[in-house]
Amino acid sequence: MKLCLRHLSSLSVKFALTITAVVAGVAFTTGAVIVTLDWQHFHRELESKSLLLAHSVSITAAGDILRNDHWSLFKSLKKMARKGTGERRENGIITAMIIDPQGVVLAHLQPNENPLGMPLALNDKTEERLLDSAKKFRTPGTLNGGFGTNGFLEGIVPILSDEKLLGFVRVRLSYRELILKAQRSAMIILGLTLALVVLGSLLGAAISRRITKPLTAMTQGIEALGRGELSDIKPITVRNDDELGILASAFNKMAKEMAEKKSLEEQIAVSEKLVALGRISAGVAHEVNNPLAGLMNCIDTLKEHPDDPELVERYLPLLDKGLNRIKSIVESLLIELRIEEAHGTDNSSSLDDLRDIVESEINGRRIDFIWENHLGDDVLINKRRVQQIVLNLLKNSVQALHDKGTVTFRTFRDGNFVILEVSDNGPGIPPEFRNHLFDPFFTTKQNGTGLGLWIVYRLVESMRGVIEVESEVGGGTQFQVSLPMMNVST
Amino acid sequence: MLRKWVTYFALILGTLFGVTDSASAGHVENGEVTKPIQFGLTAVVVQDNLRFLDQWSQYLSDKIGHRVEFARRKSYREVMDLLDSGRIDFAWICGYPFIKKRDPEFIQLLSVPVYAGRPLYHSFIIVHKDSPDRVIEDLEGKVFAFSDPESNSGYLFPQFLLASQGKTLERHFRQTFFTYSHAETIEAVAEQVANGGAVDSYIWEYLKEKRPALVKNTRVIKKSPAFGFPPVVARIGADPKLVQKMRNILLGMSRDLEGKKFLAGLKLDGFGESPPELFDGIRDMAAMTRKALPWANAAERKKNEVAAGKE
Repeated sequence: MKLCLRHLSSLSVKFALTITAVVAGVAFTTGAVIVTLDWQHFHRELESKSLLLAHSVSITAAGDILRNDHWSLFKSLKKMARKGTGERRENGIITAMIIDPQGVVLAHLQPNENPLGMPLALNDKTEERLLDSAKKFRTPGTLNGGFGTNGFLEGIVPILSDEKLLGFVRVRLSYRELILKAQRSAMIILGLTLALVVLGSLLGAAISRRITKPLTAMTQGIEALGRGELSDIKPITVRNDDELGILASAFNKMAKEMAEKKSLEEQIAVSEKLVALGRISAGVAHEVNNPLAGLMNCIDTLKEHPDDPELVERYLPLLDKGLNRIKSIVESLLIELRIEEAHGTDNSSSLDDLRDIVESEINGRRIDFIWENHLGDDVLINKRRVQQIVLNLLKNSVQALHDKGTVTFRTFRDGNFVILEVSDNGPGIPPEFRNHLFDPFFTTKQNGTGLGLWIVYRLVESMRGVIEVESEVGGGTQFQVSLPMMNVST
Repeated sequence: MLRKWVTYFALILGTLFGVTDSASAGHVENGEVTKPIQFGLTAVVVQDNLRFLDQWSQYLSDKIGHRVEFARRKSYREVMDLLDSGRIDFAWICGYPFIKKRDPEFIQLLSVPVYAGRPLYHSFIIVHKDSPDRVIEDLEGKVFAFSDPESNSGYLFPQFLLASQGKTLERHFRQTFFTYSHAETIEAVAEQVANGGAVDSYIWEYLKEKRPALVKNTRVIKKSPAFGFPPVVARIGADPKLVQKMRNILLGMSRDLEGKKFLAGLKLDGFGESPPELFDGIRDMAAMTRKALPWANAAERKKNEVAAGKE
């Protein structure tokens, strides 16, 4: 039960996880693509911004350089830096400068660190590399100064006058804003992605629940069927016409039919019981009635001739015989009741008491009787019940052999079962009798009551055992009784 | 009625033949002004307050009875050229161009502003407030900002200072440039584009009040002797009646309420009358500089000509 449920719940979890994984995969891939495209877009924007700014300075720079008008050069840088001031008062301009072809400062936004007319202050290798690269520019372009929040992009526009190189405008823009922008959009996309994933998993859970709920109900139903609780199975709600709906309705139909079948079987069993009871009653009536008629005759005759001693002497044994027969029939019928009351347990060697009874039944006939008791003394048995089963079977075998033959009794333990085997090499049971072997009052013997095997059957059944018969006409008969160890002593 | 038609006709003709020149001086014809009176302004005043200048020109127009317009030019040279060519009649210039020899002379002294009780001002040598430099000699090999090549306080005085030690600007400083505005010279020093600069004391004090954040980044390391305050001049060829009228208006500003308001805006006490000898100090300084560095002066003059021809 638990195992099945876990399996189902894991199925529902698998469904949800699969859908979540698919949604997450799609969402994250899309998100990553958008973020990348976004970054590229922002990067291009930054590039064109840096070039635009550098251009705006370079337009007037040529004349100012030729006139040695450093103040105007500085002012154009300053104006450019102010121009970029956006709504957040952040233009991202780290620095800007105008240098001559040799790298001497003509104007710089940080004049303190980069004095006019002096070679550009090169604080590190990156600056040297950038300057060397910048000096090679003959057309506007951009340079990368590392990534990260301290990284920057440099727009470089060479200043040319009549094809003579006068210098370069370098405008350095921070990646910080770009990164912040990209981070913002990445956060939005991440949020959307997570929302999609959550939605996807909820959807997955709903779908898997929708799929597995009828399955769980069906499993529980099947388990109930297994336990035989046919009447308790609730019909599974059928919602759709899809495969699950068809399965559910098929299951409902099956459960309903099984329940009907079971109640039918119960009805049949009840009527069979009634039939058996009727048969028993009829048998009892018939069996008791037969001797009763003779007895009545005898008593009538004795009444008519009360003084005839010869008659008394002749009829008394007949009366005795008839009454004994009635007594034996009643005893046989009551035997089950008696055995039910018997609780005494004993070890298995107590079975050996039966040998003498059987020997006396053989009574000098040429019958070989083989007795094999392989049960250990540790096996405890209900003496009265098991003795009754073995005795009845052995008596049948001995009676079936008439004058000569072999009767074998074997008992042994086979796993959790105690096996009782009685076999003979008699004439066997004709096929037409086989179905009535265990019916009460069914007998082929002159003086039989027809209750011996019926009693065996009832005893074995009461101990939840199994009785098997193998018989061949002319080849003998074998009865094998298997009794569960746990019941054999009760 | 007829006169009105004639005026219209003249206006149409003037428009057709392009006679109307906004830069030319005002003319009086039959008592009517056909063109505005042009008043040249230079770096001697702070020109960034447009509304104030518009109101002042309106005041002058109302007083004189004719429209007065301020003609603003970047350099003294340009304003002097406008005077020379007769396209303006009045100008507020510097003492240095005033004392320069011209043949024939085309300007006459109209009025000298009174600043802090006297018609005098100084040249300030300024450095950044954090600068270690204490005297102009400390600025050797550094960057220096001048205002105008014809400015007394912004160019002649520092040149004189060095010339008296036998030094030229080119050799003393690594790099120099002209800002054509005292305010921008202060800015250049405050921004540390220049290590030092020479400015008009009046402008420095004026901006100290108006733009303290800028000026407090600078420090005065040298104050020149007193010189004649930048004068207002008139073109010699201008209508004498108009010149007299303008002189009276300027002199009368300190006596009327509205005029006082403009004077207060300019941080001046008034426009007064001073003899041309007031500027002898500048004249002597120029002569001494020339004498000390005759060769440098010639070269300098040539360079100035290039710079002035910039616009």
